[in-house]
Amino acid sequence: MNDISPARILLVDDEAALREPLADYLSRQGFAVTPATSAAEARSKLRDDRPDLVLLDIMMPGEDGLSLCRHFVEAQDIPVIFLTARGEATDRIVGLEIGADDYVVKPFEPRELVARIRSVLRRAARIPAQAPENEAFAFEGWLLDPLKRRLSDAEGATVPISSVEFRLLMAFLEHPRQVLNRDRLLDMVQGREAHLFDRAVDNQVSRLRRKIEVDSRNPQLIQTVWGGGYMLATDVRRVPLDAD
Amino acid sequence: MSSLKMPRPHSLMGQMLLAVAVALMLVQGLGAFLVYRAQREGYEASMLNASAFRLIMETRGPRALSRRHDGPRVPLSGPPPKGYHLEYSTRSPAGPGETRDREAEVGLAKILADQEFPVRDIVVVHRDVGRDRVARRNALDRAANYGLAREEIDRIMRANLLVVGVRTEENGSWIISRVRAPRPENVLLTPVLVQTIIIYIVVMAAVALILRRITRPLAALTRRLERFAATQDVEGQLAPSGPEDMQRLIIAHNAMESRIAALLDEKNVMLGAIGHDLKTPLAALRVRIESVTDDVERGRMAATIEDIVHTLDDILSLARVGRPSDPLERTELSALMFSVIEEYEDMGEPVEVGDTARMALELRPTWIRRALRNLIGNALRYGERARVSLSRAEGRAVILIEDDGPGIPDDAIADMMNPFTRGDPSRNSATGGAGLGLALARAIADQHGGALVLSNRLSASGTVEGLTARLELPLG
Repeated sequence: MNDISPARILLVDDEAALREPLADYLSRQGFAVTPATSAAEARSKLRDDRPDLVLLDIMMPGEDGLSLCRHFVEAQDIPVIFLTARGEATDRIVGLEIGADDYVVKPFEPRELVARIRSVLRRAARIPAQAPENEAFAFEGWLLDPLKRRLSDAEGATVPISSVEFRLLMAFLEHPRQVLNRDRLLDMVQGREAHLFDRAVDNQVSRLRRKIEVDSRNPQLIQTVWGGGYMLATDVRRVPLDAD
Repeated sequence: MSSLKMPRPHSLMGQMLLAVAVALMLVQGLGAFLVYRAQREGYEASMLNASAFRLIMETRGPRALSRRHDGPRVPLSGPPPKGYHLEYSTRSPAGPGETRDREAEVGLAKILADQEFPVRDIVVVHRDVGRDRVARRNALDRAANYGLAREEIDRIMRANLLVVGVRTEENGSWIISRVRAPRPENVLLTPVLVQTIIIYIVVMAAVALILRRITRPLAALTRRLERFAATQDVEGQLAPSGPEDMQRLIIAHNAMESRIAALLDEKNVMLGAIGHDLKTPLAALRVRIESVTDDVERGRMAATIEDIVHTLDDILSLARVGRPSDPLERTELSALMFSVIEEYEDMGEPVEVGDTARMALELRPTWIRRALRNLIGNALRYGERARVSLSRAEGRAVILIEDDGPGIPDDAIADMMNPFTRGDPSRNSATGGAGLGLALARAIADQHGGALVLSNRLSASGTVEGLTARLELPLG
C-alpha cells in the first residue's frame, strides 16, 4: 500500500457496537478511518474530506445504504464496499448493480474485509475513471454480464461461477486469442479473495473449464499453450445490455 | 355383483346428474306402468263388455239391456273390438291344454249378473284369430270377398280373440261368443319414450346449468387453494361468482388468504429483524476477537462465532424456506454443484466428484447451494468423506452424496429429517450444527418440488458401508 499517506476510509454504520471496534481494527491495519453513524452524517463528512473508499451498512434507519451508495458512485466516483446482514442473493445483486465494488456479509472475518478493501483500492488506482460497464461479452453462445457477474449459456441458463472465476473469465474475454501466462493472469485476477495467492492459477482455470467446457478433459474454449499459459480460443463480441 | 363394475361418478356434477336421472327414470317408469295397466284393464273390460253385449243381444233381442254397463266401452287406443255371431255347441270352447282366464270369467259373470242374464258356467280363453276354427274361416271368407292384402290377413290372424262360452243350465248347450281386437302391444311405448326423452333433456339441461353455476366457482376455488397452499402468494385471488352461498365462501376464503399471507410476511420481517439484530453484535464480536493475541484461543473463538452464525442462518432459512423471496432462475446444476464442492476443496476437505452431466433447471441457486452445503457438510462430519455425483433419471436431476460413515439406523431415518434431531445423541454442539441441516435440505427439496431420500448403503456382506443422500429435483 501507499506508505506515505494511509488510505482514507469512511465507515458508515448506525450500530456503535460494530462501528467502534471495526474503526479501531482498521486503524491498526493502517487505514485512516472516519466513522459516520448515519447517511446524513456521511454526506456531511464527505464534504470535509474525500475518502478513498466507503464501507457502508446496507440497512440503516432513515436514508438507507443503497441510496447513499448511488450518491457516492454517481456523484463522487468513490469505491464502495457494502456491509450486509442479509445473505440473500437479491441484495447482493442490487448492491453490485448500483455500482458497489464489493460486499461482505456480517459477520465477516476482519482479515477478509481488509483483503477486500486493499483489492478494491488497488483496482480503483489502476483504472482511474471506471468506464460504465453496460456491455456484455458474447462468445460461443455464452454471455457474460459484468454488471451482475452473471454467466449464461446458449439456452439462457445461469451458470454459477465464483468471483475469482468471474475475474479470470473477464481477463480472457478482454484479451481473446492472446496467450496469457500465469503471472499475467494472477496479476489481472487477484482480487478480494485473500487466499487466492496460495492457490495455483491452473487450479482456477480447470475449475472454470468444468463449468464452461463441453468436455473439461478436452478443453476447446480455454486452451493450454505449451510453455506459455492459457488462451481463449474464440472470438468475443461486445453486446449492449438490455436495461432490465 | 362385484364383477359388474359400473363407472360411478365422483364429482358433485356427476353424482347430482346421476341421482336426478335415476329419480326421473323411476317416476317415468311408474307413470308408464300405471298408464299401461289402466289401458290393459280398459282393453280387457271392453272385450268382456263386447262379449256380454253379443250374448245378450243375440239371445234376447236389442231391448234386453236393462241398463248401461259400466266401464270404458273402447280401449284407450286402437279400434273397438269386433264381434262374431254366436255359436251353439255341445262342447266347451276351451280346448285341451288351453288356460282359462279366471279373472275375466269372474268379471264377465258380474257383468252378466248385472244384466240379469244368469249363467251356470262361464269359460273364457284367449287365442289368436288364426288358431280359432270359426274366426279363421270368417277371416278367410272376408279376405276372399274384399280382396284383402296379405299383410292385412296376417294382421287379422295375429289379432287377439276372446272366446267366451256360457251355459245357462247343467248339460245344456254352450253359447260361444267371440270378440276380436288387435294386439295391444307397444301402443304406449313410443309416446312414453318420446316424453321421457323430452323430460330428460329439459330437466338435465336445467340441472346441469344450475350445477355448473355452483361447481365452476367450486373448481376454481379448489385450484386456487392448491396454488395458495403451494405458493402462499396472494396474487390472483378469485372474484366472487356463482350463487350467493358460493360467493360468501369465496369472499371468506380470500380474507383468510390475506390473513395468512400477512402473518407470513410479518414472520419474515420479524425473522429478518432478528437476523440483523443478532448478526451485527456477532460481527462486532468477530472484530473484537482480533485483538486476542493467543492465536489458538482466537481461532477457537472464531470457530464458535462461525457455529452460532451457521445455526442462526439455518434457523432463519428454515423459517423462510416455504416463502422464498428470490425468484426461480434457470441455472446449470453441475456448475452450481461444483461451486459448492470447490468451497469444501478450498478448506482441504476430502470431496470426490463422480459422474456429472450438464443440465439446466428452474431453481433458486442460494437455496440449492445451502441444501448441498448441508448435505456435503454432514457427509464430511459424520462420514469422513463425501462423494458427489449428478445424473438424470425419470425426468429428474438426481444428486447423490455418499459418505463412508456408520450410516443411520433404519428406524431413525425419518426422525433425522425433523428439525433438531441428530444421529448420535451424545454429540454436542462442539461438533457443529443444531440438527437443522437435514430438515432444511429436505424443506429446500420440497420448495423445488423435489425430494430428499436418505438410505444406508450396504456392502456385499450386508454391513453398512455408508449413508447415501439422494436429492432429486424436477427437470424443466
